Amino acid sequence: MSKPSLIRYAILLALIALWFLVTAMEWVKPIQLPPPAGLWAAWQADGSRFLDAFALTAAEIAVAILIAWPLGIGVGAVFGSLRAVSAVASAILGSLFAVPAIILYPLFIAWVGMGPESKVLFGVIAGFFPIALNTLSGVRQVDESYVTMARAMGASRLQVFYRVVLRLALPSVISGLRIGTALIMISVVVSEMLASFGGLGYMIAYHRTMFDTGHVYLGILMALLTVLTVNWLLSMLESHFSKWQERGADL
Amino acid sequence: MSSEVIRVENLSKVYSTREGDFHALDKLSFAIEEGGFVSIVGPSGCGKSTLLQLLTGLLEPTSGQVLIDGIEVRKPLPEKTGVMFQDATLLPWLTAEENVAFPLSLCGTDKKESQRRARDLLKLVGLGDFINHRPAELSGGMRQRVAIARGLVRDPRILLMDEPFAALDEQTRFKMGEELLWIWQETRKTILFITHGLTEAIYLSDTVLVMGTKPGRIIEVIPVDLPRPRTFEMISSEFFGKARNRIWKLIQEEAEA
Ligand SMILES: Nc1ncnc2c1ncn2[C@@H]1O[C@H](COP(=O)(O)OP(=O)(O)OP(=O)(O)O)[C@@H](O)[C@H]1O
Ligand SMILES: [Mg+2]
Repeated sequence: MSKPSLIRYAILLALIALWFLVTAMEWVKPIQLPPPAGLWAAWQADGSRFLDAFALTAAEIAVAILIAWPLGIGVGAVFGSLRAVSAVASAILGSLFAVPAIILYPLFIAWVGMGPESKVLFGVIAGFFPIALNTLSGVRQVDESYVTMARAMGASRLQVFYRVVLRLALPSVISGLRIGTALIMISVVVSEMLASFGGLGYMIAYHRTMFDTGHVYLGILMALLTVLTVNWLLSMLESHFSKWQERGADL
Repeated sequence: MSSEVIRVENLSKVYSTREGDFHALDKLSFAIEEGGFVSIVGPSGCGKSTLLQLLTGLLEPTSGQVLIDGIEVRKPLPEKTGVMFQDATLLPWLTAEENVAFPLSLCGTDKKESQRRARDLLKLVGLGDFINHRPAELSGGMRQRVAIARGLVRDPRILLMDEPFAALDEQTRFKMGEELLWIWQETRKTILFITHGLTEAIYLSDTVLVMGTKPGRIIEVIPVDLPRPRTFEMISSEFFGKARNRIWKLIQEEAEA
């Protein structure tokens, strides 16, 4: 095990120990922070409902990712390679990105209802802009000499794009995916908290009104684990594609 | 028997810019024989790179034409012309071998065959021990060698080079020149070499074309009657000095005009 990950696990263990300590000594009220046993009780009482909620949230996030990633990369790539319009497109996308999507959420509910569709829609809109913006700027920054060279070597337009431009823009695309995916996850959970009939966000919000603090924390913990898992998968993707960047020194 | 592989006829290029039309090249005509080594020198901005792009088929002429093997060039012809620029523009995520094989992968050549060709060429340019290195792990000179190998991978008869060694230090540059001559002799390619280095141009070439500016055109053709193989001592010969001074003067006059 590497040193940084050792430190990370040590910190995690320390926090858990602190949690046991703080709750056992009743330094905080159980309604603010339940003891670990409170979470266990919640899991025993409503475990299967939590699993259903998790499955729904995970599915909403997955569908939103499956739509937002290709859409964002596609739009960004197209506008990034059209030199004549890319600056304008970037400005427009940038200002739309600055609009907090949450103010439109009531409209989404009116259009597609309170079910999972509105969560997916909300997630897609939140995730789309940073992905498109990063892809656009990554593609725009690709050195023209690579394009010239590829064409001289006989690459078709499509080959220039897929095999050279998009690949060179990849670090930027991936950072867009990281931001966009984080926003998708936040948006899905928050929108479940605002108005819905299911999902981890719904469980957290519902039990909060019931003052079931154990349930609330269980929901938060599961949402946290979901986010961490997805982030871990993304960092695997990132390191897979950036291996060649880091090897400069070992000649 | 020698024959023309490159023929440029009344070639003109006009760029339309916001300030109006810009005559980058005006009615250029010349021909290069098979197996020749021709350099082009001229003041900055005289249209050397424009000419090379027209020869490559990356740009369309405004009038006139470029013929390669008697056929008009309308788009890049990688099977006939290999190119190389000042920047090696190697793809950073590919190894030296994969970079050299890249043009083959674009036209769907068998993988084993591509690999074999790429390795042979890397050996030819002296990088046989570096086939699995990525560009970031190679020096500037080594990267240009990979680029030479990539330019040769489709076995074109012509190699077009735009200031390929300009970014290298003087010693590396001289060594690369020597190596290029050796490769040229081994492979019998026809080479068109653009440079700002007058010594380099004379040392390497059979013929030096001197270009003038505004508009870009050829103002003098200087044959280099020095025996091959060229040696370092020739650089201090009387002929070499005269040729160098002549070109220098021509370019000075053009730059001041
Ligand atoms: N796409 C373009 N649009 C308008 N003008 C251009 C374009 N490309 C080149 N030019 C102009 O054409 C002229 C010739 O450019 P070119 O790059 O061919 O010169 P060069 O001889 O290669 O110069 P250098 O020695 O500095 O590399 C320059 O004045 C340049 O400004
Ligand atoms: Mg140039």
